[in-house]
Parts: sequence; C-alpha cells; structure tokens
Amino acid sequence: MRRRASVWAWVILVLGLLYFFIPLIATFEFSLRAIKGRYTFEAYRLAFMDPAFVRNFGYSLMWCVLTIIVSLALVVPAAYWVHLRLPRLRPVVEFVTLMPFVVPAVVLTFGLIRLYGSPPIVLIGSPVLLIAGYVVLSLPYMYRSVDTGLRAIDVRTLTEAALSLGAGWGTILLRVIFPNLRVALLSGIFLTFAIVMGEFTFASLLSWPAFGPYMEEIGAMRAYTPQALALVSFALTWGSIGIIQWLGRGAPGQGQIAGAR
Amino acid sequence: MTIDKRFSRRDFLKISAVTGAGALLAACGPQATPTAVMPDLTSGNSIPLDQLLEAAKSEGSLTTIALPHDWANYGEMIETYKSKYGLAVNELNPDAGSADELEAIRANKDSKGPQAPDVIDVGIAHTKTAMADGLVAPYRVSTWDTIPMKDPDGYWWAEYYGALVFEVIKPDIANTPQDWEDLLKPEYKGKVAMAGDVLKSNQSVQTVLAAGISRAGGLGDTVESAVEAAKAGLEFWAEMVSAGNFIPVIADQGKIAQGETPIVMEWDYLALANRDALAGNPELDIVVPASGVIAGPYAGGISAFAPHPYAARLWWEFVMSDEGQLLYLKGYAHPIRYTDMAARGVIPEEMAAKLPPAENYAKAVFATVDQLKETGTYITENWRKVVYGE
Amino acid sequence: MALERPIRTDPLPITQGDAQPARPPRGLSSWKNWIGLVPFFAFAIFFLFLPSFSIVYRSFESPQHTFTFDNIIAIFTERNLVNAYKASLTVSLITAAGGALFGFLLAYAVILGGLPRSLRTFMTTFSGVASNFAGVPLAFAFIATIGNAGLITRWLESAMGFDIHQTGFTIYNIWGLSIVYMYFQFPLMVLIMAPALDGLRREWREACENLGGTAFHYWRFIALPVLLPSLLGTAILLFGNAFGAYATAYAFSGSFINLVTILIGAQIQGDVLYNPGLGNALALGMVMIMGFCMAGYAWLQQRTARWIR
Repeated sequence: MRRRASVWAWVILVLGLLYFFIPLIATFEFSLRAIKGRYTFEAYRLAFMDPAFVRNFGYSLMWCVLTIIVSLALVVPAAYWVHLRLPRLRPVVEFVTLMPFVVPAVVLTFGLIRLYGSPPIVLIGSPVLLIAGYVVLSLPYMYRSVDTGLRAIDVRTLTEAALSLGAGWGTILLRVIFPNLRVALLSGIFLTFAIVMGEFTFASLLSWPAFGPYMEEIGAMRAYTPQALALVSFALTWGSIGIIQWLGRGAPGQGQIAGAR
Repeated sequence: MTIDKRFSRRDFLKISAVTGAGALLAACGPQATPTAVMPDLTSGNSIPLDQLLEAAKSEGSLTTIALPHDWANYGEMIETYKSKYGLAVNELNPDAGSADELEAIRANKDSKGPQAPDVIDVGIAHTKTAMADGLVAPYRVSTWDTIPMKDPDGYWWAEYYGALVFEVIKPDIANTPQDWEDLLKPEYKGKVAMAGDVLKSNQSVQTVLAAGISRAGGLGDTVESAVEAAKAGLEFWAEMVSAGNFIPVIADQGKIAQGETPIVMEWDYLALANRDALAGNPELDIVVPASGVIAGPYAGGISAFAPHPYAARLWWEFVMSDEGQLLYLKGYAHPIRYTDMAARGVIPEEMAAKLPPAENYAKAVFATVDQLKETGTYITENWRKVVYGE
Repeated sequence: MALERPIRTDPLPITQGDAQPARPPRGLSSWKNWIGLVPFFAFAIFFLFLPSFSIVYRSFESPQHTFTFDNIIAIFTERNLVNAYKASLTVSLITAAGGALFGFLLAYAVILGGLPRSLRTFMTTFSGVASNFAGVPLAFAFIATIGNAGLITRWLESAMGFDIHQTGFTIYNIWGLSIVYMYFQFPLMVLIMAPALDGLRREWREACENLGGTAFHYWRFIALPVLLPSLLGTAILLFGNAFGAYATAYAFSGSFINLVTILIGAQIQGDVLYNPGLGNALALGMVMIMGFCMAGYAWLQQRTARWIR
C-alpha cells in the first residue's frame, strides 16, 4: 500500500537536497575556473596527468587489497564463530569493534610507533603497521556488515547441512558461507575501500606513500586541481556504493553504516 | 658391489674433519672485500668528492623527508641530484613539520628500512632539540667557511632563508597594505589570514613575531627583548581579532585562488611560487612590509642513524654548493651563502631580478636559536590567553 | 526465517530461538570453538589494545620523561583546556541534536513519506558517500559556499544587495563549524535509522487506525516508544562522532576554534608545541567521554534489536 506523498515529505527532501548539493556545486564551479575568464576542465586534466597521482593511487589500491584480505580473514571467522557457537561473546566482540571509534587515530599511531619501533619487536621498516592501522579503522564497518549478513541467512542450517555432507571447516567457510554473504561482504569491502583511500593520518605519520597524504599535499600546494580530485573521488565512491546497492537488490538484510570525522 | 659396511667412527670423524677444515679455510680465505676503506664518518670533516661519490654509489639511494616539490624549488633540487649522481631518492611525507621529522628519526633508530630519513630540513628552533636528543651527526661541507649561520661543531647549518611578506589579491584589494599597522585599517575587515596554524606551524609563529618586531621597533639582542617583541606581536593580533580583520582560517593556494583570503602572510618563496602557479588567476601582489621583516632560515642536518650516511653527505655537498644554492634562488628562496656568491659574481642577473629588490631585505631580522625557542614557546602558550581572552 | 515465539526480552531472538538442535551444542569448554576467534583477538590485543593503553600511562609523562600528575591536573584547571572541552561538547551537542532531528525527518520522508522508491535508494547511497565526506574537501566546499567569497555570499550581495558580513556574520565559529559537521551527521542518522523505520510494521498503524486512533496517537503511543532507543542511541553515536572529528575542524579553522582534538594534534605533532604527555592526557579525557557514548549506544542498540528483524 503506497500512501500518498505528503507535502512535508517533499519539503524536507528538497531542503535536504539543497543543503547537500549546494556546497558540491560551489566546489565544482570553483574547479572549473582553472583558466582565467572561462569555464574549463583544465583542472581535471592536470589532476590526472600528474605522475604522482598514479603512483599514490596505485599504492593506496595495494594497501586496500591487503587491508581487505587481512580484515576478511580476521572478521569473517570471528563473526561466524560468535554467531554459531559463542553468542555470549558477542558483546565482547562488539566492544572490540567499537573501540576504533573511541581512540583517536593520531594517538593510536604514536602508540604503535612506540611499541613496535624498537626491539624486541621491530615492525617499523615494513608496511605491517600501516595495514594494521587500516584494519583497525575498518574493523567496525567490516564486522557490522558481516554480522548483518550472517543474521540474514540461516547459518546453523547451512553449517549442519555442509557438515552432514562431510565438509571440513575450510570448505564450509570458503564455499558455503562466503558465497552466501556475497552482498554483505561487498558492502564491507566497499566501505573499507572508501576508508583506506581517503585515510590520511596513518599513512602520513608512518611515512608510506598513499592517496590521502597526496591529496593533502596538493591541497596545500595547488589550487583548482585538489578540488577537482575531491569531486572525482566523491563521484567514484558514490558510483561504487551504487553498484553494491544494485548488486544487492532483493538480498536480505542490508544495513550499512559509515561515519566520518 | 658391496659397500664396505665397516664405515667406522674413525672414518666418519676423518671426513668431518676434512670437510670442516675445508669450510674453515674457505671462510678465512679472501672474500669479496670492499674496494676501498670507507671514508671516516665520525670526525665531521669534509670528505673529498670522488671518495664520497663512490661510497654513495655503493649505497644506491637517499631517503629525504618533508621536502614538498613546490617549496623553495626542492622538486628540481631532488631531480638534479638524481640525474647528476645516478642515485635514487626515496621521498617521505612531504607534509611533515619539523617536529615530525625529528620524530621520524627517533622512531626509526633501530630500523634501517625505507621509513628512516637520512637528511632533514628543520626550522632553526628545532636544532636545539635535535642536538640535545642526539639525532644528528656532524659534517662540515666543503663550502663550510662561507656559511654564515651554523653550529660550530658541524651538527647543523642554515641552507636558505626567506622573509615574511604580504601576499595580496590585487583585484580584491583597492589599497595594498604596506606595513603591519595598515592591516588594522577597517577597509581590511575580514580579509587577513595566516598561512598556518599558530599552535602547529613555525611560519605562523613567525608571523606573530614579525608583527611584534614592527611594533616594538626591533628584536633586540637578548632573549628578554625578543620576548618583549613577542608580547607586542600578540597584542597586535588581539587587536586584529577584535577589529574583525583576522579570518581564522588557514590560507592555502586554493583559498587564495577562490578569494576567501585576500591578504595572507607567507614566506616570500612560497608567495612567489603561488604567484607563478596561479599565473594571474587571480593576480597577486607581493609586498615586503616596511617594518618588521623577519628572516626565516631553515637548517639542514644528517640523521645520526641514517641508513645511507654517504648519500646523505653527498646531498649536502650538492645543496650547499653554488649549483645547489642557485637552485634555491630559482625557487625564490635566498640561499644562505648569497653574500659570498654575490661577491664572487656567480649569481645570474635575471635570477636576482626575479626577487623583490634587495633593499627590502636589508632590514631583515635574523633571530638567534635561543630567541626563536623562547619566543616560540611564549607565543604558543599565550596565544589563546592574549588574543582570545581565555 | 521467523519462528513463532513470543517476543523475548533478551536481545538475540535468532540464535536463542535456534538453540533446539538435534544434538547438544558444544559448550564453551571445547577449545575448537575458539580457533576462529584467536586471530581476531590476537590482532585486537597487539594492534588496538596495547597501543591504546599507551594513552593511559603516557598521560603521566612530563616533557622531561618523568612521572607527573601535572597533565591530568591541567585538564581541569587550565582555562584554555577547559574551554576546549566546553567547545567540543557544545559542538557535539548541537550537531547531535540537530543531526538527529533533521536526519530523522529526512529518513522518515524517504522511507515512510510516500515518496517514490527510487528516491529512497538515492538517499541511502548518497548518505553512504556523504557520511564519509570530511576533512579538507568538506571544509573547502562550505567555505566556497558561505565563506567571505562564497557562492551564496556573493549571490546574496549581487542579487539582494545584502552583505551578510556587515551584520558581523561569520562562519568561523562554533555555529559555522556545526553547519559543516551536519554534512556527515545527517547521512549517518539516515543510514542508521533506515532499518529501524523499516521495522515499523504497517500492521501497527492499521491496528491503531482501526481502533480509532489518529496520527498523533500512533506516534505518541506506538511509533516513538519503539523508535526511542534507536533514536537516542544514534544521537549518542552522532555526539561521539562530532566529538572525535579532527580533519574537518582542522581544515576549517586550524586551532583558531579551540577544540580538544585540535589541541591533541598540536601537542603530539606540529612544529611548535611538544608535550605528548599533555596530548595523551587530553586524549584520555576524550576516550572516556567517547567510551561512555559508545557504551550508551551499544546498550540502546541491544534494546532496539527486539523490534528489528
């Protein structure tokens, strides 16, 4: 039953759209002014032609892939086991996943550097700390996505069916659970992607090349191109999330959350 | 064929002994020795260029930190170093502040990985911390004697300096301000901004100090007189805030281009680089204030834990040479050896002409390390108290 | 797969309901149950808890690396620091309240307001992006809109002859910053409330109308009580989100607006101040405030799980 749309709903929607889109339009209008006197896409052309852009974007993509792999390897078994066997541990696990919200990134990074910068465990020469930092940041979103997905499918029956057919745990996880969590996993993956690509603090303090510090640097040193890039990355992220929505249409249980600072 | 089953213990011991001796001899024999003894690093004396070049080549690369390409022409400096000596350069974190650079050295003390910087470029006030914490190694480049500002034992030396100038968007401002007191005029309401954050950026602290020098009539020779100037600077900015002339936003090229910050105080090399980059879109006016001109030298050093100590020293030989110093000049920064080079006539006319006239810099004030440290602390501790009444 | 059972008061109807298996479930004593969790917890301990714990003990460190209570005392006594907490709390309250209110209205409009279905999808995907839009680009976008030379400012001046800056208006204060923060607060509210609003069964509305109730009765006695834990929980989440925001605040006005996160950044990084002990102490205060928020949020979320399936 579709109720007739109330006037108020339209009013609120329009107000919301105005609030969200006018700043984007202002940024877009500015990014078109790279050449004096007329509107042009020069800023966009320059943004993509910069070799540092490709280099840093490539590095960030690599960090994304590594983060996603580690994150999945940590979260999916944990969520699955909590769901299946240890529901009483759920509050503990959820507390862990809420902690990254509570601890500021700056302080966490310095803590990591102090702990793992000197013997006995020296992790500082390798990207381990960076990936660990990214995994920590994306933990809440990945866990929540997987958890939502697990709630929507009947984990117990699937597991028991697989076990009764003689599958080992590896097969169960990889060939039964993962495919059924397709949409939830995609949602977690895309959120992680958005977070890692835009992340600045960890990459900057740990001195690894990444897209976040690159955006920051050109933002400080150039005009027009940083704004163009910001809009492009906004559009790309929006497109990706649109793709998840489209892929997941009709699938049960998709609630995504995200948060920014 | 039967294998002799009587492979006795003695045979076994014999074979082991022979094998062991052979291995021992092989180990003691001549190995791939270094082609030459590596030059001495501890004395801090200058190393002859050919030896240095060979040693650096064996290291293969250099790790730098906090060198944005658009800052005093570091982009060209790094490229020239790479092509001239055939070494790779690993550039870390161009956004890093001076404290971040020192922190990077501290954090990587025990690691020789790609995160450990070899060379640093810090504000003068940080040299004290660097030396006190044992983070830098001494080295006197071949041009040592002509460097006017340095540590006598060779732990740091100034590389370049700039003066704090007003960067004004011509179309938006009818009357360009000429001095600090002009900035208080009502026509500049909501138009003046700093290029950094007072609590975080050396440049902004110097902005406050420069205003104070203008008001107090000078910096003086003692730390106490410098603090008096800092006090005057804070009062000036308190007036700017209450008059509503100060925009509490950090200006950058984007905000200048957009018109949000029509008047910005920045180092001249950054302002001139902005002017070039924006190429008239909008048009910028660069003004050296009539009074209160502060010079901001930056100091170079070598990490005491550098993974590539020879490449690091080679970098400094290059940067402090005439060629390197002229690259700074190309980026609108004043090389620290300017007077020496001018006296020997090695500065091309066109390059010198691109900077604001030399007379404007005659009044530039060079503070001592102690003065800078004390005024820096004073300003950051009292900024919110004096300016915002907290 | 719903089970026909009375609604239970404990928060996990699905797994509790399924606990009637053919064979007895393995107890916690079986070590095999823990394998899947070991990597997770090991990671959390090494890369989250241990470094975070450093906040606590480094709060007691002076710049000379000795033990001191000075940092903790300073938080309560130094006016500068107290004002920072006040300002942060104010911004967080404003944006939590405003974000919760308008965000809820927006969510209601697209989900239950009778608008075309495609608008709901549009709003949720857009919210997914907008809730992550922060830092320098967000700050710039608003400066370019209502700053001194912003689009709206200039339009007001040219089209209406109205120079808002003559009235002393400036966006560079707590209120301006709040307006900027709303950009990620509204979407966050929409995203989290959407499932909760979905959970409002239309049968309840119909039942209410059948019994002669009006929209007011529906909201007052049915919808709001059901939604309240979710609303409050999300508002608390918004509060914590705003309190911890750093990149946007710094990009917007540096340290010229005095906030806790900005102070932490200034003490731990940067060129001039360097008292990491104080930075950590400030962070400790922040962690405690955020900790309360997250605990409150988690508790309220558990209570709403009753209604959401």
